[in-house]
Amino acid sequence: MIEAPHPGMPPSTGERLYHWLDARFGLAKLVEFVRHKEVPVGGHSMVWYYLGGTTLFFFTVQVASGVLLLMYYQPGEVTSYESIRYITTRVPFGWLIRSIHCWSAHLMILSLVTHMFSTLILKAYRKPRELTWLTGFMLFGIALTFGFSGYLLPWNELAFFATAVGTDSVKGLPGIGQWLLEVMRGGPDVTINTLYRFFALHVVILPLVMVAVVSVHLLFIQVQGMAPGMAHQRADRPGLKFFPDFLLRDLLLWLVCLIVLAVLVYVLPYGPGIPGVEWELGKKANPLAPAYPGIKPEWYFLWIYQLLKEFPAHLWFLEGPQAALLVVTVLMGIWALVPWLDRRAGRNQPSPMFTDLAVAAIIFMAYLMLKAWDVGGHKAGSTGLPDPRATAWTCALITLGLASVVALLRILAYKQRWMYFSGAALLQVVLNGVFGVDYLVAGAIALLLAVAGLAVTLWKGRAERLEAPR
Amino acid sequence: MAAPVAQSLKPERRSFLNWLIGAGLLGWAGSILYPVLRYLRPLGDVGAGGPLKLTAEELSILGKSHFVIARAGTRKVIVFESGGQLRALDAKCTHEGCTVQFVPGDSLIWCACHNGKFDLDGRVLSGPPPRPLGKWVASREGDDVLLTMETA
Repeated sequence: MIEAPHPGMPPSTGERLYHWLDARFGLAKLVEFVRHKEVPVGGHSMVWYYLGGTTLFFFTVQVASGVLLLMYYQPGEVTSYESIRYITTRVPFGWLIRSIHCWSAHLMILSLVTHMFSTLILKAYRKPRELTWLTGFMLFGIALTFGFSGYLLPWNELAFFATAVGTDSVKGLPGIGQWLLEVMRGGPDVTINTLYRFFALHVVILPLVMVAVVSVHLLFIQVQGMAPGMAHQRADRPGLKFFPDFLLRDLLLWLVCLIVLAVLVYVLPYGPGIPGVEWELGKKANPLAPAYPGIKPEWYFLWIYQLLKEFPAHLWFLEGPQAALLVVTVLMGIWALVPWLDRRAGRNQPSPMFTDLAVAAIIFMAYLMLKAWDVGGHKAGSTGLPDPRATAWTCALITLGLASVVALLRILAYKQRWMYFSGAALLQVVLNGVFGVDYLVAGAIALLLAVAGLAVTLWKGRAERLEAPR
Repeated sequence: MAAPVAQSLKPERRSFLNWLIGAGLLGWAGSILYPVLRYLRPLGDVGAGGPLKLTAEELSILGKSHFVIARAGTRKVIVFESGGQLRALDAKCTHEGCTVQFVPGDSLIWCACHNGKFDLDGRVLSGPPPRPLGKWVASREGDDVLLTMETA
């Protein structure tokens, strides 16, 4: 903080420097802006305002640890795997830097996803913040691409097959599929050429794009301020001063994040050992070796991975993976357009439909994720392949249990009643897991329920609006 | 009575807390900087234990062009033949670290970067190099050429 010079005292060096800069760049305006910047208070917990900051913190850790890894990493057929092994076994604290990079990557995605869901549930995307949501959605996509491209760089077995599957899925895109596949891979198959492309993407292109989009995202927030809660919208309520009150809390939380990161890195340097959250280097990639059992993508891709398994070989005129890709694209499209679809929140009216959409999305993904982990699929003592029926049964029961708790909490604590979407998502889980109905058939039945609920609500809302002015 | 005591304690407590926070911050910064600095410091490759042997490829270069630059751990050695005698010197010029070469016609070691000239024992003849080149011992054993660092 810049204080007025003490009367009779000569200005200190800091004050002189400030005035020198102020005369040239007009710092006073900036100081004035920072002094008046406030964070809205009330309506909901303050916790949700910190998650963008923690995501940014983990991104900074990613940049720092990534630059350090670049000092030793050498992309190449005979060097990629070897240089990572050199880093983790020979270089002092090399294991630490790699482990920080891996842990922080997962924590960044976790923080980002939590931030996104809280924004959805609190309707912070509503007018005038539609573009903040859209840039945030882009950052989500960039972060996932970061994870996907970074996965290949160690050139181990896991990297090889994850990339083979991941890139293969784009071939279903109509028209440009095959072209895009070859551009991504640098040839028809995953080879070391793919690694060079992913390396360039991971260490140059994505960081540049990420910094640019983050800057725009932050600029929007500076111009518009953080979104106040829906319920309170009272301008007379004093907010929390951003500087220094909020910033210090932010910094303290970042310190806590760093401590959590350090503890995780120290206790579990290769991850918790759950498929999709582990980074043991393993064997070097061998294009001629068969895919090994239990191979899984990272946890945030598990739901798509499972969805690919649920689709049959052919669905009408589409191939299975094509149809799955279409479903994911449609869902992502809806997700990106939420601020425009949610007309009620735009008018600052309660919008229970979109709260329920978030819950439905969580149920939908949780069930697929549990299934992807084959939870309950292995019978005691058996060493064979997991049994999909037993898996579906166990996963459905777990999802049902969790969803019931959430539903009770919503009804009792938040007095929420609108549950057609989450109900539909749960219906699909129960039909598929408990009654053994085909996943897609169950999905179609659930979709009918959701559409019916939507239609009833829209019709009732319209009737109310027609009556209201009279 | 209580008030003056509290007043006299106050600045001390504050300075103690400031000291504590400062020390904590310093320790925190140190615990981050130390691993990073250790990580950044390159590992010197462990040099070969015994005498270094020239490879067949290096021997053929030596035969053709009267000298060869060989790698000895992290250092580079120039091996050359002059008057039927095999000699070896550090190949890194003591001026700015360029790699020197043997000029058979003038019987000297020359650095092309800044025109430093050394005699065949590594002593500076002319130019900017401040120190002589380190000496190695090159010896023939059968068809092999062995190199050992000369200890002063």
